[in-house]
Order: sequence, then structure tokens, then C-alpha cells
Amino acid sequence: MNSLVRFEPKTVTEVAESIRDAATRGRVLRLRGAGTWMDVGHAVQADAELSLGAFTGITSYRPEDLTLSAGAGTTLAELEAATRVHGQWCPLFPWGDDRGTVGATIATGTAGPFAAQLGRPSTLALGVECVDGTGRVIAAGARVVKNVAGFDLTRAVTGSWGTLAVITQVHLRLRSQPAVDETWALAATESTDATVRAFADGPFAPLGCERVSAPDARELGLGAARWLVRIGGNATLVAAARGAIRALGVAYEVDARTWNAIRQRGAPAARATLWRWDSLSSRLRERFDPARVLNRGLLGEVA
Amino acid sequence: MTSLAAQLGRIVGDAHVIARATQLLVYRSDALPGLQRAPARAVFPGTRDELIEVVRVLAAAGAPFVSRGAGTGLSGGALADDITLLGLHRLKRILALDPIARTATVEPGVVNAALTRAGAPHRLHYAPDPSSQTACTIGGNIAENAGGPHCLKYGVTLDHAIRATVVLPSGEVVILDRGDVARDDGTQGGYDLLGAFVGSEGCFGVVVDVTVRLTPDPERVCTLLADFTRVRDAADATSRIIAAGIMPAALELMDQPTIEAVESSVYAAGYPRDAAAVLLIEVDGAAAGLDDDVWAVERLCRAAGARTVRVAHDAAERARLWLGRKKAFGAMGRVAPHLVVQDAVVPRSMLAELLDDIAAIGDRHRVRICNVFHAGDGNLHPNIPYNAHNADESARVHAAMTEIMTRCIAAGGTITGEHGVGLDKLPYMEQLFTADTLDAMCSLRAVFDPERRANPGKVVPVRACREWHGVASTRHGARAGETR
Ligand SMILES: Cc1cc2nc3c(=O)[nH]c(=O)nc-3n(C[C@H](O)[C@H](O)[C@H](O)COP(=O)(O)OP(=O)(O)OC[C@H]3O[C@@H](n4cnc5c(N)ncnc54)[C@H](O)[C@@H]3O)c2cc1C
Repeated sequence: MNSLVRFEPKTVTEVAESIRDAATRGRVLRLRGAGTWMDVGHAVQADAELSLGAFTGITSYRPEDLTLSAGAGTTLAELEAATRVHGQWCPLFPWGDDRGTVGATIATGTAGPFAAQLGRPSTLALGVECVDGTGRVIAAGARVVKNVAGFDLTRAVTGSWGTLAVITQVHLRLRSQPAVDETWALAATESTDATVRAFADGPFAPLGCERVSAPDARELGLGAARWLVRIGGNATLVAAARGAIRALGVAYEVDARTWNAIRQRGAPAARATLWRWDSLSSRLRERFDPARVLNRGLLGEVA
Repeated sequence: MTSLAAQLGRIVGDAHVIARATQLLVYRSDALPGLQRAPARAVFPGTRDELIEVVRVLAAAGAPFVSRGAGTGLSGGALADDITLLGLHRLKRILALDPIARTATVEPGVVNAALTRAGAPHRLHYAPDPSSQTACTIGGNIAENAGGPHCLKYGVTLDHAIRATVVLPSGEVVILDRGDVARDDGTQGGYDLLGAFVGSEGCFGVVVDVTVRLTPDPERVCTLLADFTRVRDAADATSRIIAAGIMPAALELMDQPTIEAVESSVYAAGYPRDAAAVLLIEVDGAAAGLDDDVWAVERLCRAAGARTVRVAHDAAERARLWLGRKKAFGAMGRVAPHLVVQDAVVPRSMLAELLDDIAAIGDRHRVRICNVFHAGDGNLHPNIPYNAHNADESARVHAAMTEIMTRCIAAGGTITGEHGVGLDKLPYMEQLFTADTLDAMCSLRAVFDPERRANPGKVVPVRACREWHGVASTRHGARAGETR
């Protein structure tokens, strides 16, 4: 893989040209964000690597709209830093770490521990700009939080692992940071498992609720197996939630940064190897990348 | 040779096929005024098997068709132009309701409000609540990706759809999900085919059944009414509330003409008639801390210039405040024989500016615009009551609407947030999307309906689909070569 030629188009037009060129010559392109997660899925027998390295930076951010647009190669860490100063948050927070790019997060549809409450990539992506396997430059969706104009290309492309289109820019929904934000650890035993799950399903709707296995907990300095529960909201709500958590068992507050450690340990197994290739899925691939230029073989499709 | 109507009658029973023009009259329109198309025949399957069989017979005949739920659509999506209309209102069984998993599986003709009623004994409800919820069907909601006031906090139809059985126009039956069902490790295992299907306006196939999420009733609900002497201030209050990190369940704005229409109707809700605008704000969730949010909302409204802020004290008062909002379209309908319900979205921060511009456009074309909309989402509904039989007035209404749409597009917004493109918004698609993007939409449709027999001619202008040029005509000579 290391010997692959890598090229880095500077504009969307260049991306389209390189895809059309590859299609004509029967070549395969391996798409690359930050390159932190290239070993998932099946092996790609690529002729060249197409890097999104030139599509970086926040292209539009109006905090009062709670939306943000960024080049696909922008790292999650950059988004985190830019939104935090406005009391906001890009809650993608996928399993893995924040060195990855926003484009890859949307392309792989990778969620994280806060997805149930704050939204999965497929909810947070308001639109994508991308180039499909035929070289069409697609601008789907918009910087608005509600949109049903036309057929939903954003949903089709999100989570498609770069097998339909190369994402160059994304439009995202942001959230406000809660006024009070606390993370609590609770001993995880068979008896607490059910009560913690019931708590998580209840009116306090925690931002995150994860069970940390004993080995992971030991490495993170949490002792034995633990539940980590993140609660956010106004002071009165959080105080009540805190009380409810304490009623579940011995609980203590931990540093919110624990989530960063958890998220790295929780990096998902490569489900890309278990892709469902039914007739509709094959037709979708065929319509958007008939020459199989993009990430050929990554999802194990039979050619 | 047997007629198509006769073939369909053999499946569903002759009583459930209509072929006589006079009987088809009621199906000539949906809730969009001014647009009528007569179907050639209508067929109403009563079971899942009948539905599938009907679609297969249509496939064998190569016959195009249009699915129809309750016909409350506002973009002309359910109109069938001399082709078969496939009515789904008889398929109204709730097939399963699991209060533990908080899901329900329903047939497409189940009425939105009926599902919420079915969840009530379990303190569950179906969250997407279009104002038409007492009539519209879940199938229609899926097709339009319908929204409603409470979608601000709880999300639109797509956010509540888990799985759907769909009969494709070819007669093939498929099960669609979001590609990540039952996968809790954070990755997807398939394309988001359900995400692509929801909002496809009947052009991708027919919903046979759908499994949706039910939402627990909130522990507490509090509804506020704030009134303002300037529309701008109401828009400003909206921004302040969202910026403060409060996520109301609903945040709806009604302007003076709307208030006037509501207060003059049987749905009078006690909105102050002399206000330039009111905001109807609902805060819900855990009981603990709810009052803090209510006080914060009240404070923020006053800071933005609210004259008064009223908090509903009991369920009856709350219901009355909401009735005015939910029946606002109906109330406007009494002002004139016809009503255009418009739908567009702009970035929230541009609401105040846009409302000023819309007012100016209305003045210029001498039409009366009533704004009642989902302010929290930036989802505008500038509505115009008018008389469609008056050619001059119709022309002015049309001109005003076109200008409003163009203005919303220029503001970085979109031409529809929940009512769909249908036939009505086709002319704006090329203004909003590039040729490549529209062509890609045609490709997405072709995945589900390569023969383009489901709801033909809707959503994407036919001429935007390059693939079709070679097939349909050679008039677009230059582009015919691009056929793939
Ligand atoms: C007073 C009023 C208020 C409204 N308020 C709202 C609102 O707040 N939010 C909102 O989003 N909408 C609103 N609407 C619009 C409308 O109610 C929604 O679009 C609704 O989802 C349409 O449902 P229906 O059953 O009436 O569909 P129909 O009008 O019958 O059909 C609409 C589209 O869905 C397709 N379709 C119907 N059933 C199926 C099926 N089973 N499979 C595939 N395709 C199908 C049709 O082909 C058509 O394209 C309102 C309408 C009115 C009249």
C-alpha cells in the first residue's frame, strides 16, 4: 500500500477529472482522509490513492444557525475547537479518535457513544458536496435544518464508505453545549445493568451511557467494570439526575475526558466486511460508480 | 383483451375499482388548490397481498400509477394524470405495537393521529405531528418525510422510521432499513436505503408496511404564548432561545393576519388580536428543571421585546392555544375560497430579514400573506388566501410566490422543508440544483424505479435526467449523446 501513488486534487473539478480519467483507464482509486483508519473492510486493490488533504478548513460557520460547513479533510479536532468557543458542539464524536476527518466520519457513517441522544452521522449531515464515480459534481442538501427538496442524495452517500462518491464538503447540524455537563461512574454488576438501562430510557435522557468492561476499566484507572453516564442540562435537571444516579449504586464523578479514552478503546470492528449486497444495493453502486473506480472491493462486493 | 380495470377488479373486487369519470372526480386534486388532474381509474386494495398483486399487474401491463394516502398533500404529489391511482386508505391496520421496544408496525393507510391514540395507553406517542395529523396517513408521511411543530426537538419522519416493506414498481418486495439496524458497534452494514426512500414522494415504490419508533410522553409539558408588536422581535426571540441552548419541543410563529383569521374562526384561541406576531412555545421533558427553562424562555422573550408572556396553566388552556395553531390553515381557508400553503426553509438567523422581504413582496403584488410557521427550524409557511377563479388575483399570487421562493433560494435556503416538490415546485428545481445534481437524483430514482412508472413526472423535471433523453426524444440533440 505504501508504494501507491498518492495525488491530492486541489479543486472539485480536479477530483472529477481524476475520477473520469480513472474510469476511462479502468483504474481503481483508494480514497483517503487523514489515513487513520485505512485497514478496515476488505483489501482494496487500488492503482492510486486520492487524498482529500486539500479540502480542509471550515468553509462556513454561523453559530446562531447551529450549522457548520467544512471541507471533507477537516479533522474532528478542528471542529471541536472551533465550535467549543461558541458554546457549541459537533456531536459526531465517533468511536476512534479526533484525528480522523469529518468527511470519513460521514462517509463511513461512524457513530459514537452520544449518537442515541445527539444524533448519528445520518441525522447530523444536512448536506454533502461530492463527486460520484461517473464524475458528476453533486451538491446535495443545504445549510438548513429541514429540507425535503428532491431525492435525498445525502442519505444515500452518508455511510456508503466512499463506494458511491467522494465527499469533498459536508454541512452539519451542531448542538449547544449543555449549561451543566457531568460524567458519573457506577459499578457495573448484573444487578445494576438493568437499573442503569432503565435510567437511560427514562426522562433524564443521558447524553451517553456506556458499559466499560473490566479490562478496559482497569487500564483507564476506573478499577472494575463500570457504567459511565453523562448527564447534561440546566442545573436543576442535572442535580435531579445526579440524585437518581446515586440511587442506583455507589457513584462518583469522573473527568469528562474519560470519554476520549473510552472512545479510542471502543473503535468498532470492521463491519464493512459484513456488507449487505442485496439487489437494490448492487443497483445503487452500479448507478453511481459503474466502473467501480471508488474503493473497489472495500465492501466485499462480487464484481 | 381484458381491460386493466377488469384485471384489477379481479384482485380487489369490482367494488374497489373505479373507472367512471364522475366517480373519479373526488380524486382530481389533493390539498393544493388550483391544480387538477383526472386519473384514468382508481384501485383500492384491502390487504397487503392485494396491494402487491395490484402492483404486479400494473407492472405486467407496463402501466404507470400514483399512490395516494389521504390526499392531504400540498404539492400535487398525489395527482394522477390519466393513469392509475392506487388508493391506500383501506390498509389501515396497526400490525404490531411493542410498548417495551417502543415500536409499532403499521399499514400505510393508518392515520397519523390514530397511531398516537394507540400508543396512549402505554404513555407513548408518534412524535411527527403534521398539522394535518387527524387525516394524513403514515404512508403519506413516509413519502413526504413529513414534519410538524414538535419535530424541532424530536426530529422529522425519517428520524422515527426504522424499517419499511416496500413493493417496488416492478412488483419486487423489499425490506429497507437505515443500514445500521441492530448494529450497536457504531458502523453501518449496508447502504441507507430507507433514508433514500423516505421523502421520495411516491416515486420509488409503495409502502406496504412500516415500523416506526414511538416516543415516551414527556413527564411534564409547559406551553407559553408570547406576543410582540413587531414580527422582527418575535424572530429575534426565536434566535435568542435557540442560542441559549434551550431546545423547546416546539417554537411556532403566527403573524397578525394569521391571528386575525384564527380569532375570527371557531378555533379562536385567545391570541391577542392587536399583536404583530405571537410565538407559541412548548417546553417539555423531565419534570425536574423544566421551570428553569420556562423562566429562561420567558426572560428571553421579554428581552427581545415581548409585550406579554402567558403560561398555560392546565391541559385545557394548552389544548386551546394549540388548536389555534393546528387549525390555522383551516381558519385561513374561511377568509377566501382558496388558500396557497407555501413551504420554504431559510437559515434561522435570516428569519427577520426574510419576513420583512416577504411582507414587501406581498405589498407589491397586492396579496394578503399570512405567516404561520415552524420558526425554530427556519421553516416558513407564507400562505395566501385568494380566489382561484379570479385570473388577475391568481396571477398576482403566483408572481408573489415565485418571488418568495427565489428570495429563499438566494438566502441559502431551500424550496420545501416538509410538503415536498410534487408538481407544484418542479419549476424551482433547476434554480436550486445543478444539472449534475438533478441527474444524480434521477439515478437514485432509477435504482428503485428504472421504468419511471411510480408517480411519473414529479419531483425532478424530466428534462433534467440525461439518461432519458435518448429514450424519450431526440429534440435535445446535443445532450442525447450523453445517454448512458
Ligand atoms: C391543513 C394541512 C396541514 C398540513 N400540515 C402539515 C405539516 O405540519 N407538516 C407536514 O409535513 N405536512 C403537512 N401537510 C401536508 C400533508 O398532510 C403531508 O404531506 C402528509 O404527509 C400527506 O399524507 P397523505 O396521506 O395525505 O398523502 P397524499 O397526499 O395522499 O400523498 C402524498 C404523497 O405521498 C405518496 N404516497 C402516499 N401514500 C404512499 C404510500 N403508501 N407509498 C408510497 N407513496 C405514498 C403520494 O404518491 C404522494 O406523492 C398539511 C396538509 C394540510 C391540508
